[in-house]
Amino acid sequence: MCGVMEKNEDSLAVARRDSHSDLAVVDLAKESPAQKKARFERDALQYTSQLYSAALRYTKNSHDAQDLVQDTYAKAFVAFHQFQPGTNLKAWLYRILTTTFINTYRKDQRRPQIAAGELEDWQIHDAASHTSDQGRSAEDEVLDNIPDGDVKTALAGIPEEFRMAVYLADVEGFSYKEIAEIVGVPPGTVMSRLHRGRKLLRESLGQYAKERGFNKSGDAK
Amino acid sequence: MSTDMNHIACPQVQENLILFIDHELASPTDYQVFEIHFQECQPCTQIMEVERAAISMMQELLRRSCIESAPEELNERIQEQIDVLSAQTQVEFFSQTTVTEITFGEGDSFQITHEVTQQYTQEFRDDT
Repeated sequence: MCGVMEKNEDSLAVARRDSHSDLAVVDLAKESPAQKKARFERDALQYTSQLYSAALRYTKNSHDAQDLVQDTYAKAFVAFHQFQPGTNLKAWLYRILTTTFINTYRKDQRRPQIAAGELEDWQIHDAASHTSDQGRSAEDEVLDNIPDGDVKTALAGIPEEFRMAVYLADVEGFSYKEIAEIVGVPPGTVMSRLHRGRKLLRESLGQYAKERGFNKSGDAK
Repeated sequence: MSTDMNHIACPQVQENLILFIDHELASPTDYQVFEIHFQECQPCTQIMEVERAAISMMQELLRRSCIESAPEELNERIQEQIDVLSAQTQVEFFSQTTVTEITFGEGDSFQITHEVTQQYTQEFRDDT
């Protein structure tokens, strides 16, 4: 309760406005809390499995992944008025998920920082030359039979930045630009990380295949 | 190698191969330039196809392996949390009183007082 002393006649005009005056504002503003909640449940909750899958790859364990996704939804719900309807909700949720992970869940985890210059060195022909000099079809066949668990282990073994880029691009199908916004780095960096990540993953899977004895016929000619 | 705008050299193609494969080239014209090059250059075409196949195989492998369902428990936790957060959002009623006071003279005073009380609502949430 606050009292305002006024010597201005305008206050009378203000006073005459009825209580429905804010109907004149934007759609979002007149949405009731119940309507906003319903819209959130309808639009955002369909992504729980996708976010959980990503969270598992980020945190590498189910307990943290569940907490991360729950935190993500709590933040998203509270900030839902900031989301612009009609834009990419999935990407928006991924950005919250990723930022939350980076800021909270990996804080205690001391990681070597990748130098900016080093990233630029990972050029595309690196990946291209890697594959062009060997017979892919035999290796393809081998990789095709790798158990899901080994794929996950291989992905988990890749440094975080690369893992995220590969996951967001190759599993979720986000564009470089979308990934740049989700992760908070320039698109050029996304590209470098993605190529590096794919290369590491490919090498790692090849190694797994070999260890598991899938490499039947010394096929790397 | 021709130098007109529709033609680029092999190193340029190979350096940007991933952008072509990932559909990340800047413009439709760039795609045309690449297509023209591939029509004329067997080695580049082969490199591109091998790389594209490798990437799409990797993508299939990853998608097959990494797609999981959120545990029912997690879905319940999320729903409960939204319900709680939603309940914490309170619509509070505020009132504001505007007093208009007009006073003339001294001694023989003349005073008009107009008092208006407005009520309005504001949404609050306990964020802690």
